[in-house]
Amino acid sequence: MLLSKKEISILIEIVYSIVFALIFLPYFYENQEKNLILMDGLVEKIIQIIICTVIYFAIAYSVLEVAFKKKETRDERDDMINSKSYKLGYLLYEFSLFIFIGYVCSKFQNKELLNLTGNIELYSSFQLTDAGIIFIVLVLLAFISVIKSIYQFYLYRTV
Amino acid sequence: MILKNNLKKVRQNKGLTQEELGANVGVSRQTIISIERYRYKPTLELAMKLAEKLNIKIEKLFYFEQE
Repeated sequence: MLLSKKEISILIEIVYSIVFALIFLPYFYENQEKNLILMDGLVEKIIQIIICTVIYFAIAYSVLEVAFKKKETRDERDDMINSKSYKLGYLLYEFSLFIFIGYVCSKFQNKELLNLTGNIELYSSFQLTDAGIIFIVLVLLAFISVIKSIYQFYLYRTV
Repeated sequence: MILKNNLKKVRQNKGLTQEELGANVGVSRQTIISIERYRYKPTLELAMKLAEKLNIKIEKLFYFEQE
């Protein structure tokens, strides 16, 4: 299966999203009970993410440029494929935001109901911290990014 | 009705490669392949450019076929 430069750059994005999710999301998952200010090494983690991202894309695109010396034209087919895949990403983003807001609202509502029963342990388990919110948002973004890129790759192979 | 084309036949008659034709009209080789395989319907602008470069009337290059 011969892949074009554009298809390989999409695969680079997919790999990045998956690797990012596998390496960095567990950190946010482990700390989701805490508040942002109490998270251990948050600043270091953010710097690490930025540095890793820059290094990864610099190496990946340099290798790609060396492997495909010829410049590929960007035309109307690319625009059509991009608009279709970004539309799907946007729809997924809107849908997940809707679900996320519902989740947050239900959590607060359940918390208020538990407050009436006086069960403190159960009450505290329904805490929604800012780190927890960031974790959910990052999971959604990684998921949407992967789906969008897979769809984009599929369109490049089939259209 | 399906939009079809004679692009491959006309291009080969003119002795052009997909890459050369693509470069002449400002699109990639993949786009020419997609049009020839009826996977992608070009915009009117691209269809007219193709017809002009191949020196053929647009209605001879693109046509409708009953399903």
